[in-house]
Amino acid sequence: MEGLINLPASLGRYSIDIVSSIGRAAVFLGLTLSRLFHWPFPLAEFIKQLNFVGVRTLPVLLVAGLFTGMVVALQFYDTLVRFGSVDLLGSAVALSLIRELGPVMAALMVIARVGSASCAEIGIMRNEQQFDALECMAIDVYRYLMLPRLLAAIVALPMLTAIFDLVGIGGGYVVGVLIHGESAGAYINGLIDTVTINDVLMGVIKSLVFGLIIMWIALVNGFNVHLNQSLSGAEGVSHATTTAVVLSAIVMLSFDFIIGSLML
Amino acid sequence: MNAHYGDRQVLHNVNFSVAEGEIMVVMGGSGSGKSTLLKHLLGLQKPSSGSISLLNQNIAELGRKQMMALRRSMGVAFQGGALLSSMSVGDNVKLPLRENTELDENTIDIMARLKLELMNLAGFEDLMPAELSGGMLKRAGLARAVIMDPKILFFDEPSAGLDPVTSVELDELILQLRAALNMTMVIVTHELESAFKIADRITVLFDGEVAAMGTVEEIKNSSDVRIQNLINRKPRDKVVDADAYLQRLTAGGT
Amino acid sequence: MEISRTTFKQYERLHLSGEIDLHNSSVLRETLLGLLGGGEHVLVDFTQLAYIDSSGIAALVESFNVAKKQSLEFKILGATGSPLQVLELTRLVSVFPMVENEHNL
Repeated sequence: MEGLINLPASLGRYSIDIVSSIGRAAVFLGLTLSRLFHWPFPLAEFIKQLNFVGVRTLPVLLVAGLFTGMVVALQFYDTLVRFGSVDLLGSAVALSLIRELGPVMAALMVIARVGSASCAEIGIMRNEQQFDALECMAIDVYRYLMLPRLLAAIVALPMLTAIFDLVGIGGGYVVGVLIHGESAGAYINGLIDTVTINDVLMGVIKSLVFGLIIMWIALVNGFNVHLNQSLSGAEGVSHATTTAVVLSAIVMLSFDFIIGSLML
Repeated sequence: MNAHYGDRQVLHNVNFSVAEGEIMVVMGGSGSGKSTLLKHLLGLQKPSSGSISLLNQNIAELGRKQMMALRRSMGVAFQGGALLSSMSVGDNVKLPLRENTELDENTIDIMARLKLELMNLAGFEDLMPAELSGGMLKRAGLARAVIMDPKILFFDEPSAGLDPVTSVELDELILQLRAALNMTMVIVTHELESAFKIADRITVLFDGEVAAMGTVEEIKNSSDVRIQNLINRKPRDKVVDADAYLQRLTAGGT
Repeated sequence: MEISRTTFKQYERLHLSGEIDLHNSSVLRETLLGLLGGGEHVLVDFTQLAYIDSSGIAALVESFNVAKKQSLEFKILGATGSPLQVLELTRLVSVFPMVENEHNL
């Protein structure tokens, strides 16, 4: 009986928690973006963060890109051979990567390597009162720390996606041309003929949006780690980091579908 | 002022004032509300009622720019130092200067070294915070707090985690800083000896209320039992209710 | 803060008065470095100085170092009160040549 009575209360409390989390996240984003034109622009930190995202993600990205391209080519090859349309291999691989797999896979790499690390870093800073210290030194945390990180992710992700796409297309080439002996010319020409600006644009828009989502969720979860009353210290940071990773993956995939639907 | 965490009232009718050039020590056990009081004084939290004035300015009425200007006259030394982990000790100490002033880099460099010398951290500028011991982190945090010669210094648990010798040196340093720069100080601590040595006045908090506020002598002669117990380090009396005690010991068993 | 210049024996004498803090210490710094760059010996007169903060002290340290390298004289005259306490706190009384009385020069 007690459980039944408590159920609406728990649901209510849970919903309120979710809504306030979303509200806090929205305020956080608003505050961070509003610093875009504040002086001085944190250029040094921005470049440092850009470097951080790139260096941490690139090695995994290259390997993943190569294998993804090869696997896609492998799968398409089998089907295309049955239909006698092997000439389409180049375009099939390219389109899959540019429109879909490139942005999503690059985003997943960034979530795993950068999203988790950034969330943890921010969470630890919160626990050690570093944000209180910055505020007391009259340093604007949103301008000094958050904006560079957010911008770095937004700027880096399209670049990483492009690299993933190129490596993937190369991987497809390896499978189609080098292993199966199909025409190199057909592969490349097919690619050039079918890929349109709209496809590339879709990839770019997706990666920009993904970059924003990933870093935003990572930063907010780390920043608010102290608001979770039941978990403190290292446990709190660990929980925040896992939340950030899972949440950014889910939100990213949802937006992948939304953007795809809107643009196709 | 009053303060709440959600529905829980943490500070009740606290009236608190510190004169210029005075060293005010805030004491109390865990849960007494002293950390909450400090957060409110620093402007990190807003009271549910009442007001806070620093340097004759009501901080609730200040705009962002004015608050930032006020903050430049304040220094805060946090427990554990609260240094930024991504930069060296030297860069940490120089941070307020680099962000808030237009001083030449040479000047900033010498100022940082002067303060680090004062804290016996000379030569440690290039180390990262992760390479320092707890006591050194605290001293680095203090160097950063006083780098701009603030008018008010807030110090959260200076002696926590320090060995007795370093603790005494730190007490001396605090007194010297006040003498040379006429700094007003608010120090939160639970160390009785330090408190009695450096305080001009002491505020004692119990359960979010001010139990006493006065000079060292007045506090020592206080008629409040809790304060006397605190000073004489008597544990709280535990009255034994035999039946209840037995219940607690055997609950869930036979 | 006010800085006025006179000459005293072989020194360029800088009379400091008022307060030296973050806002005006760069003026002191430039004045000192300018004098030393011109090959002058410097006597910094503290007698009318009410207050000097770390930025002012840093300016003095930097200038003294320059003076030393160029074998120019750099002395502090008549430090009292708060400025003297700051010099003692920073242990710079053992670094700067301090003079109490101009007649001792």
